[in-house]
Amino acid sequence: MVHDMIISSVFAVVQALAMLALSPLMIGVIRKIKAWFQGRKGASIVQPYYDMAKLFRKETVVSDQASWVFRVTPYVAIASVMVAALLVPFFTIYSLGFVGDLIVVIYLMTMFKFFMVLAGLDTGSAFGGMGSSRELMVSSIVEPTMLLAIFTMALITGTTNLSSISETLAISGIDLVRPALFLATAAFFISLLAENARVPFDNPSTHLELTMIHEAMVLEYSGRNLALMEAASWMKLMLYSVILSNVFFPWGIATDLTVLGMIGGIAAILVKVLFVAIAIAIIESGMAKMRLFRLPNLLTLSFTLALLAVTSYYIL
Amino acid sequence: MSSEVLTDAINGLAAIILLTSIVLVASKRMRSLVRTFMIQSLALGMFAAVVAYYTGADHIYIVAVLTIALKVFVIPYFLEYTIDKIHVKKEIEPLVGIPMSLLICAGLAFVGYYVSEPIIASGDAITKNCFAISLAVVLIGLFLMISRRKAMTEVIAILVIENGIFLGAISITYGMPLIVEIGVFFDVLVAALIMGIFAYKINRTFETLDTTFMRRLRD
Repeated sequence: MVHDMIISSVFAVVQALAMLALSPLMIGVIRKIKAWFQGRKGASIVQPYYDMAKLFRKETVVSDQASWVFRVTPYVAIASVMVAALLVPFFTIYSLGFVGDLIVVIYLMTMFKFFMVLAGLDTGSAFGGMGSSRELMVSSIVEPTMLLAIFTMALITGTTNLSSISETLAISGIDLVRPALFLATAAFFISLLAENARVPFDNPSTHLELTMIHEAMVLEYSGRNLALMEAASWMKLMLYSVILSNVFFPWGIATDLTVLGMIGGIAAILVKVLFVAIAIAIIESGMAKMRLFRLPNLLTLSFTLALLAVTSYYIL
Repeated sequence: MSSEVLTDAINGLAAIILLTSIVLVASKRMRSLVRTFMIQSLALGMFAAVVAYYTGADHIYIVAVLTIALKVFVIPYFLEYTIDKIHVKKEIEPLVGIPMSLLICAGLAFVGYYVSEPIIASGDAITKNCFAISLAVVLIGLFLMISRRKAMTEVIAILVIENGIFLGAISITYGMPLIVEIGVFFDVLVAALIMGIFAYKINRTFETLDTTFMRRLRD
């Protein structure tokens, strides 16, 4: 038992670091594919790493009106996503799942968001407050959707531990596939786009004051603080993609400690995350950003899907 | 193929049918309404084909082919033609806002599930679970019909109701006799054609497809 826990802890740390290391790459890949769609050559896929290195070298400027909340937020952000990453299975099913389950993961993310919203309000700039209020409007519908979608998987597998959900599904194979899974996947994917400020909810590459949500909140950050906030957001996208891959489609994940299983697991998760990245890039290239007041339409759609997913588990 | 895979396929297709009905409620443009209806009908046709394979009943294959031919190709083509002709692009101002309609539809789906529960418990067909979905689709179709104003949307709504009834018939009885099915198909085709022409005429007379104006037809 203790032996298992040590192995799990080691793997959890390795996987969390691997996710952190790969998250800028995922952003780079999304940007590259979007560039191809626009007929551009695009920046190299490792450009986000250079950006990150540059930001860490830059001077950090903090408004003298800002309180401790503003200063502490980047560290809270990166800490909460890293703790959440410890609880999520990446290429193996081993994680610190025995410490906290999916509810902890979702609410660690919410803590990140909560502090980001506070920091947006803290400096008293008009844009920050606007971004914060919009972010909360979106997240008030996304949060229950997210929980319902993952609860569907918890119902199917009979556990709320993310690792156990992956393990049960990966071992039992096709037998546990139900319509509820597809409904929940659709709902979760829409929530993923909303939570990570992607098109059609928000445009990650604009600073146009009328439309920005996420960018408005981090507008006041610079230097190292900005680097941490960016890294945390990229990591959050990575985490949601990994949850989507491993909770809804865990086939291929390493369920034992053999070398072959590990290699298979690494290959499987990389392919799955690549698919998520391609899907995001295609959606961002093919769709326009929605008007803010039309967002509730799409969000309620995903909420309805999640609700029906849970219901149809009992019926079908 | 094992019966488990077939059950999964049947339930999956039924879920797609429910999903597309929900998407129909959420979409605002005429073209996307027609496209979503096409996807729904395709799923319905495949559903019928899987049931035919499972039961070995040849006449359901014919029904499946007819479903796909009529509801995926002929009727949507005709509807798009009418939409082109009367230059209507958008379903503006539904009577109930879209977030609210979606929540109402979720409620309707619950009603469908709840009402059909005793029937599901006593049935033994492989498709019996889909009865709940078919009821939900019929109810959503009815809701779509009363909550929209444009005549074209209402045509789509009646086709969705028909899809729901068809799904229910197949899932409880493994399909009605062929002659009845063919009669129903003919009915639907003619109904869609007539309603399309009506929509065209309504548009010509009132310069709009908004059916609320038809109250003026009183003498």
